[in-house]
Amino acid sequence: MKVASHKINCITATCPACGLLCDDIALENNNNKIKVLTKGCEKAVSFFEQPVGDTTPLINGKPATLQQAIAHAAKLIKTSQQPLFAGLSTDVQGFRAIYNLAQKTNASMQHMNAQSMTRNLKVLQSSGWQTTTLTEVKNRADLIVCIGTDVVSHNPRFFERFVWAETALFTEPHRRQIIYIGDKYLKTKHGQQPHGYSAEHIQCTNEDLPEILAVLNALVLNKPIKAKQVCGVAIDQLQELADDLKDAQYAVLAWLAADLDFAHAELAIGQITQMVSTLNLNSRAAGLPLGGSDGDTSANNANTWLSGLTLNDEVIEHDLMVWVNSFGSEKSPKISEKPLIVIGNNSAPLPRSRVPSPAYGRGLLMNDKGQGQTTSAPQSQDSPQTPVISPSPVSGRGVGERSDAAQIPEVFIPIATPGLDCSGTLFRIDSSVVLPLMRVRENALPTLSEVVNRIEALL
Amino acid sequence: MITLLKNGKLYDPAHNKNGVVEDIYIRDGYIIAKVNAADKINQTIDLTGKIVMAGAIDMHSHIGGGKVNIARMMLPEFREALKQYSEPEAHICTPNCSHHATPTSTETGFRYIEMGYTAAFEPAILPINARQAHLEMADTPMIDKGGYTMLGNDDYFLRLLSDKTDQKAINDYVAWTLHATQAIGIKVVNPGGISAFKFNQRRLNLDENNVYYQVTPRDILKSLSRAVNELGIAKPLHVHCNNLGAAGNFQTTLDTIQASDGVPMHLTHIQFHSYGLEGDKKFSSAAAQIAEAININKHITADVGQILFGQTVTASGDSMMQHLNARHASPKKSVIMDIECDAGCGVVPFKYRDQNYVNALQWAIGLELFLSVTDPWRIFLTTDHPNGAPFTSYPHLIRLLMDKSFRNEAFAKLNLDAQAMTNLPSLTREYSLYEIAIMTRAGAAKLIGLKNCGHLGAGAQADITVYSEQANKEAMFGQPDYVFKNGELVVKDGKVVKVVWGATHVTKPVFDMSVEKNLKQYFDKYHTIQLDNFKISNDEIADNGRGKLVSHSKT
Repeated sequence: MKVASHKINCITATCPACGLLCDDIALENNNNKIKVLTKGCEKAVSFFEQPVGDTTPLINGKPATLQQAIAHAAKLIKTSQQPLFAGLSTDVQGFRAIYNLAQKTNASMQHMNAQSMTRNLKVLQSSGWQTTTLTEVKNRADLIVCIGTDVVSHNPRFFERFVWAETALFTEPHRRQIIYIGDKYLKTKHGQQPHGYSAEHIQCTNEDLPEILAVLNALVLNKPIKAKQVCGVAIDQLQELADDLKDAQYAVLAWLAADLDFAHAELAIGQITQMVSTLNLNSRAAGLPLGGSDGDTSANNANTWLSGLTLNDEVIEHDLMVWVNSFGSEKSPKISEKPLIVIGNNSAPLPRSRVPSPAYGRGLLMNDKGQGQTTSAPQSQDSPQTPVISPSPVSGRGVGERSDAAQIPEVFIPIATPGLDCSGTLFRIDSSVVLPLMRVRENALPTLSEVVNRIEALL
Repeated sequence: MITLLKNGKLYDPAHNKNGVVEDIYIRDGYIIAKVNAADKINQTIDLTGKIVMAGAIDMHSHIGGGKVNIARMMLPEFREALKQYSEPEAHICTPNCSHHATPTSTETGFRYIEMGYTAAFEPAILPINARQAHLEMADTPMIDKGGYTMLGNDDYFLRLLSDKTDQKAINDYVAWTLHATQAIGIKVVNPGGISAFKFNQRRLNLDENNVYYQVTPRDILKSLSRAVNELGIAKPLHVHCNNLGAAGNFQTTLDTIQASDGVPMHLTHIQFHSYGLEGDKKFSSAAAQIAEAININKHITADVGQILFGQTVTASGDSMMQHLNARHASPKKSVIMDIECDAGCGVVPFKYRDQNYVNALQWAIGLELFLSVTDPWRIFLTTDHPNGAPFTSYPHLIRLLMDKSFRNEAFAKLNLDAQAMTNLPSLTREYSLYEIAIMTRAGAAKLIGLKNCGHLGAGAQADITVYSEQANKEAMFGQPDYVFKNGELVVKDGKVVKVVWGATHVTKPVFDMSVEKNLKQYFDKYHTIQLDNFKISNDEIADNGRGKLVSHSKT
């Protein structure tokens, strides 16, 4: 590289790594290598500093040209009777393209976060809800109850940006009261007031939440409770919380569907939204669903206006899977005998060998909850299998090389990541705010739309 | 390429043509006055005996943005059950009609064009959610679109007003918002009320203070309508009055007209704001008083927001009143949101029943308004889609207006108590084709400031609808013979024959860019996104060539 072409640019970018879409991330582009300068959380750093990876498409693990890979993918899709387009980790523009292709090929669609999204949708579709958005939280909330989640494990900057803000329109941010209900492992230190009180933590297992929330609901409704405790939680403690909720100027009850990972978790969410409804008869309160990743809110919104229906988590019969994974290479589909086309991010190279490691036979497949993992790799936010990540001497910070855990796709087409390699549009977790993503580094990776349109042209 | 539409019977109120037989020439998507002798006519379509109007324009229809999509998400049952639609007012189906209150973006475009509508305007774009509204409208084929941006409950504006900032700063902010959100008009919903609800106020009357800002809805209306007027925005301030749906709210509506102080103002879905308190049930029609006020005040325009019986969903920015209405939800669910110190929303499914006293009277009140407002240039045909009924019921509504015996038959089926409380049977007026063309074409284009739409004169965008005259006006308006969009034949015999993508209409008044200095400080301090990301670029609307931006100015 000539010195003359060596450029350093500073950019303020929007981060798609979680549902908060922080759009204040300062980046440095030093000759096409991105470094996060300020405001980046761990997830943002992993996202922006991921390497470009190998841009070569693969057919059965062997290098191919883009045209060959597209032609091969088109052939597979054409011969498939029941294609399933899964993963769907992309932005609005990418989703539109993949939706059109699904329409033309009679394919089914499922997002990688379908399970957690469905927990919320079940409540929305059975009773509706009363919710708020992040700017309202920042300026109004004087009491925030985090239910079954510490939020920060998924949305690292939640407290920094929306709770402990320097100033707010209608409340004193530093005096906000934070209460957690949930597992003892929750990281509650983020809820501590700056120079003030620690957050209260009502400890219980998440599976006990429906029962505890039912009692709390009764207390909010002024129904007498004879018991002294519920699931190990003192009724007096819940009574205090019920009183605080009623006295609050603007109480916010936050939950994160991905963290409510137990059977019929929608019942817990339903208890929360019911409580919000009751509180609003006399005072103001609002629910706040948090989390979000991999463009799930965007895919669900776009699917809804395009098809009239939400994405769901039904088990879908298929004879071919097209896995779309734009934002990070670490989430891959469950291993199956069905042919697999992967159109996605390639910051970590896919296995090229056709011989799977003996350790990953069919007997070790993940179930829907990611159980059955043989390693201590961090569990992904939602259900898809998290391939084993091992440190790689060549890759950048936070991103390792894949092991052979993932199925070798019949076709792999690397594509541009929105917000990094190409522009795009994403919905924030509260669905109200939609932000543009920008291209922050240069490379020749095609966008998902370009690849899909070229596949479509061959059908 | 020149197309000749020969011998059609033109209803073109913008040029005072009431059933005149004339030829129309189309070149490159526009209507031209005549052709030169040397010009070759490429295509001739004989329209002898056919009715020809400009493409219809729906000036108020919730076709895009958060509320509508929440309605779709919340109501999966709407997509399953409604094919077997058997409501008392089931309209005549277009070929692919789903009777759907929450059509997809594609269905929206197809159903509109199949009925001869070539443009629709989303009346409630939350500034912070404008990008979503435009994304959905971008996925709406066949028709032109545009929207009105909601102000008046956003904390930035309320701070300006409560600080008694000079009008120029407010004007600049209004103009800046129009640019940033790519809209053609400004709407205010329950002025001050959406904000007041966030401070736990449950109702807000015209002269009642928002508890926090100590400003009244009257102050808000005056400031915003003055801004719209002084900026030279063609579309008058679009006002959804306080007290939506509440018995006795007609007084608020009359007071709002009085508060307009002679400055042009558009009152939207006035049917929902024309309720009295008389009778045993303390709910009565005040349509006569409202119609009289509109007739007298020539600077006031209104659209009706007619209800028709059947299942629908109400989607409004009015979180305060929708929270109250949620107890009437059917099916029993609702979504109420406070949104971004900007606005709010309330989505409540609703089933209007002809045997329900209130619903039956609402139906009659809407028709009373249509028939009592004398000037068709100042009243517009809407169902406030989907709030009063899906827009697909327009042909049915047109028949109710044009056909008195049909109206009487429908009336006879109503709840008897409601029948006793309306003077509808004494209103014998029947709308003419010319008046329908005013309401749905020329008047709507004039109101919004679309110079090249809603008429058939030279220079007009060649959006043209051709009907066969029929006694049954529902059948006639439900299925045009031909629809041309930008000169191309896109619908034949009620079926789409070509898919096209319409333009987005906006207005971009001049303003002082220094307004951004304060806005940036405000955003950095209180908002949760960067000011620059709030603004929607022209490129986003252009959408890689599929979309197109058309900017209008008043002069």
